[in-house]
Amino acid sequence: MNFVPRYLGRGSWLAQRDPRLLVIAVACFVLAAIQVWDIRLMVLLTALGFAWYRTAHIPFRAVRRQWLFAIGFVSLIVVFNLIVASGRVQRLPEGVEEHIYGYIPVVGTPVSDASVTYAATQWLRFMGMIAIGFPIAFSIDPSAFGATFARLGVPYRFAFAIDLTWRFIPSFVADFRTTLDAQRVRGMDLAPAGRTPFSRLRRQVPVVVPTVVNAIAGAEDTIDAMDLRSFGTGKRTWLHDLRFDRTDRLVLIGFVTLLVAATIAAWTLGTALLWIPPFLIPG
Amino acid sequence: MTAVTMDRNSLWAVDSRTIVYSAIGAALYGVLVGLFKVPLPGTTAVDVRPAFALVPFFGFAFGPVAGFFTGLVGNMIGDQISGWGALTSYNWSLANGAAGLLAGLAPLYLAGWLNGSVGRKAAAGAVAGAVGVVIGFLIVFSDIVKDGLDFNGALGEYVPAVVGDLVATIILVPILVYAWDPVRERLGR
Repeated sequence: MNFVPRYLGRGSWLAQRDPRLLVIAVACFVLAAIQVWDIRLMVLLTALGFAWYRTAHIPFRAVRRQWLFAIGFVSLIVVFNLIVASGRVQRLPEGVEEHIYGYIPVVGTPVSDASVTYAATQWLRFMGMIAIGFPIAFSIDPSAFGATFARLGVPYRFAFAIDLTWRFIPSFVADFRTTLDAQRVRGMDLAPAGRTPFSRLRRQVPVVVPTVVNAIAGAEDTIDAMDLRSFGTGKRTWLHDLRFDRTDRLVLIGFVTLLVAATIAAWTLGTALLWIPPFLIPG
Repeated sequence: MTAVTMDRNSLWAVDSRTIVYSAIGAALYGVLVGLFKVPLPGTTAVDVRPAFALVPFFGFAFGPVAGFFTGLVGNMIGDQISGWGALTSYNWSLANGAAGLLAGLAPLYLAGWLNGSVGRKAAAGAVAGAVGVVIGFLIVFSDIVKDGLDFNGALGEYVPAVVGDLVATIILVPILVYAWDPVRERLGR
């Protein structure tokens, strides 16, 4: 897996937006999506998430592994937590009857039209959240991260820390690979071995500990450089001057409206309750 | 350990040192968390994530602010790199941050241990980390509201996560404390 932050969406419509918009859009979408349990609306929200993702023009081959992981992990969580382990369905409207298809062997968990709908809604929700959140890593200019969070109201020291974190990643990945190669040259085998997790964990110590201690020891230069530039003594400016243009404002209004509408609908129209598609109801 | 000299006020100081150590912790955690996983025998889908030990370690060594930042931002970065999305499970990132923060408060509840030998400091690191994990991860019960899980479903997420992270914390935090202490002495920190 490539851990180095890549600006894959460079030049796309989304990359031309103010990066604050990408963060606010995700926050509004997530807060709206967690209030919706009507699968018809969830399909629309997920479609919106993927439409947003498409505007980033991220080449699929460059993020194929991430998508495979995301789809696999979401499916595992949903199937295990909501169907195999629990089987209990919440958010079922009063008076709606649950039709049980059968029981999972061994665990005895009931599988019903409601539990399948519940799991499908949850699966769609996660996929929508992932699709809309993906461009944050690949469509924001890595050098604009600090300014983005600072202009979103994060105190500038912490915004600077976020910026610094993003910049440290490539060098730590390189250090990690160097340490790994050095230990392999010395004959270390990282392949899982040993009967207990403790012994397996111990095998990773020769790689993890030197990488961590080297990173911390090497921080002194950065700290000195920041102290010499009087970091923390007063308000600082950022190299990137961020401004919302007309399109940004319109999109922003759209996402805020989505959040407000989802909240009102959840309280008044019953979209916070499960809707079971008729074709899932037996008989 | 830096935590040894911390008084009650300096625990919350946010200077260049805190910022840089926070960023280092978050970057290391974000990168390493997806690389190493050790399955726990006798469980389904429960992994020990060795990199998690960085969260309580950075809290214990560099204070609650660094611990919180390492857990919160590091988990978000790990999620984003893996494709899961930084904000998809924001409450789990907060739980990671809380674990680091609570480990960083060790000078308030383990002061006696921090003034002894390296062995005592290492033990204090493991205890502080364990306290952080057990209490901090209670935040994941917010999945009851966020994801509509029932109590048993949320408990089914909490217990495996805590068990896996406790194993990593209890084994690796003392090793990291042992490794870091001589370096700290050499740097004069």
